[in-house]
Amino acid sequence: MRLVPDPNPPRLRVLWVSLGAIAVALLIAGAVFAAYGLSPLEAYRTMLQGTLTDWKGLSEVLRRTIPLLLVGAGLTLAFRAQFFNIGAEGQLLMGAIAGGGVALFLPLPPLLSLPAMFLAGVLLGGAWALLAAWLRSRLGVNEILSTLMLNYVAQYVLIYLINGPWKGQNVRGFLYSDEFAPYEQLPTLPGTLVHWPTLLLGVVLALALQVLLTRTTLGYELRVVGENPGAARYAGISVPRVVLVMAIITGGLAGLAGVGEVAGIHHRLLEPAQISLGYGFTAVIVAWLARGNPALVLVTAPLMGIILAGGDLLKISLNMPFRVIDVFSGVMLLCLIASEIFVRNRVRWGRR
Amino acid sequence: MRTRWLLALVALLLGLGTTTAQDKKLKACFIYVGPIGDVGWTFAHNEARLAAEKAIPGLETKYVESVPEGQAMPVIDRLVADGCNVIFTTSFGFMDQTLEAAKKYPDVIFAHASGFKRAPNMATYMADFYQVYYLNGLMAGALTKSGKVGYVGAFPIPELKRHISAFALGVRAVNPKATVNVKWINAWFDPAKAREAAEALIAEGNDVLAFTEDTATVVQTAAKKKIPSFSHYNSMYKYAPDYVVSGQIVHWEKIYIDFLKKVQSGTYTNKNLQNVDYWWLLREGAVSLGAQTGMPINPKFVPALKAAKMTVNGKQVSVYDRVMELLKNMSSAKPTFDPFTGPIKDRYGVIRVPAGKTMTIKELNEMKWMAPGVVGQVADEPKQ
Repeated sequence: MRLVPDPNPPRLRVLWVSLGAIAVALLIAGAVFAAYGLSPLEAYRTMLQGTLTDWKGLSEVLRRTIPLLLVGAGLTLAFRAQFFNIGAEGQLLMGAIAGGGVALFLPLPPLLSLPAMFLAGVLLGGAWALLAAWLRSRLGVNEILSTLMLNYVAQYVLIYLINGPWKGQNVRGFLYSDEFAPYEQLPTLPGTLVHWPTLLLGVVLALALQVLLTRTTLGYELRVVGENPGAARYAGISVPRVVLVMAIITGGLAGLAGVGEVAGIHHRLLEPAQISLGYGFTAVIVAWLARGNPALVLVTAPLMGIILAGGDLLKISLNMPFRVIDVFSGVMLLCLIASEIFVRNRVRWGRR
Repeated sequence: MRTRWLLALVALLLGLGTTTAQDKKLKACFIYVGPIGDVGWTFAHNEARLAAEKAIPGLETKYVESVPEGQAMPVIDRLVADGCNVIFTTSFGFMDQTLEAAKKYPDVIFAHASGFKRAPNMATYMADFYQVYYLNGLMAGALTKSGKVGYVGAFPIPELKRHISAFALGVRAVNPKATVNVKWINAWFDPAKAREAAEALIAEGNDVLAFTEDTATVVQTAAKKKIPSFSHYNSMYKYAPDYVVSGQIVHWEKIYIDFLKKVQSGTYTNKNLQNVDYWWLLREGAVSLGAQTGMPINPKFVPALKAAKMTVNGKQVSVYDRVMELLKNMSSAKPTFDPFTGPIKDRYGVIRVPAGKTMTIKELNEMKWMAPGVVGQVADEPKQ
């Protein structure tokens, strides 16, 4: 068996390799279940039955899908531009902070409140990513490190605020802000935590980004910058400008997701780990699976949603340890990255 | 003849009644905020769940660990669908959602730990340590040579304020000049931060350590530097048998067993829990003194504590005897001693508990001030 490099892999092969990677991940995770003493079939049956066949389960999948969709769609764009944004978690938190700040302290007419919260979230989330993008274009700072580290800064900014100036009145010293007013809370589908306005926003934006990427000049520039920065420069494309615009979009979408979480589910600011259950990191898998196509995130985000909600079921119904979900997504990411070699290369059988 | 038939019928109905009552299975479900392996809060609740399962025949239990705070509702939905008729939510952060769930499922009984909101089908419960902290404070006051006792705290919430204050009152009862130096780590479970705080306290000259957070780190760090410490929440004797003096241990099972038995017998229903608030202390056995159950004081430290003297009502007594006497008093059916008996001033000199008064449960739950002897910045503290 030999690997022959193939710079332009056919779409079908990308699909097959991705599906193959998922299948391998499911097999490995199944082996982990078996080692734990649980039949893999039983585990997968519980996960699928509990998430896809009843409304309660489906609503849990949707709830997880919302932030993954928004963050994931933004990340596809970043990855297309070869900007490895590992800081979506922090951008999401900054969005939550901005949205929460507007909700708590900016007296606005009720009708304007929610739009203003979303806008503030987009701006601060975008600014957070912009910081890393600017550092890269100006000083050549590696964006993987800067975005990752900015996550911690965002976490501590949030903890400082709810532990200090923004601490709520009736929370007995615990780390919460006050509750948002009813008109600052997003409506949900009855009986669930699915804040549908954010979901709708996610679907629209994922499609819009696809159009932006494939049908506009900016999208074209972005793809060129990603695939060949040297050629982009030669063609007169301002690489820093493209990267900065892209950073605002990817960070802004993460910020939007943060506002959705606090305005739709928690209705207040609280500890970082409670606001985001690692959506910024899980969305990396979502974006990777979508292979840089924002519209495909509409498929991959619910897929990760099923895994997250299904993992909860393993925890609730089968009393498996809560880390099982982390194992699952870890194996998934590992398989996807490893499978990359089969996308970029053709497999040739035989000696020559 | 007719009366005999009637009697038989009544007996039959009664019989049926009892069998249906027995048939109705009791299924208690627990929602934990952390992982069951945390050697702290959640571990203790889970141990108590297992103990309750053993103690109550026919009781079935189930748990869900590491439930994020904003997301208790979907889990409660699942548990109710799964046939749970009693649900315990074991974190302050679950309060509002538990209340919401109690309205949504009026037939299910809910109990929420450490909160203050109740409903006809929602009770609250708490096992509190302040008495035990006072006893540990007495011992710490006797053991410190530098007059500086270190304290690692999680968050400046009322629970910790009353614990640290009770501890400081104990320390000062033995050694009126000693200080209790507090460092906050702003986390319940963060071994790295706890170690940093403990090491800093030792470097600053504190030679006895106590703490309130969910790891055994402080005990381990103190042992490494050969310094005595007081354990917290669960048995930590095994981590440092030569250096753990005593500590506080929780027994949630006392509350769970009592509550569930009363549900089983029909004393508690989904209509009469509005005023059911368990506030259980030494008297009820919900907490105990020691670094290990059955060992109130590590035998290694008994001679030193017997040699240390303190003044009580003008008389010289050994610290060991005083601890044992107060432990017996507060564990009895009618305790006459309470650490928060006035007159008590806060550390800025403002009278907080007038002479002859003791603090009410409500006051303890909302406590903001700190007792004299506590050193270090404390958030949300009244200055006047």
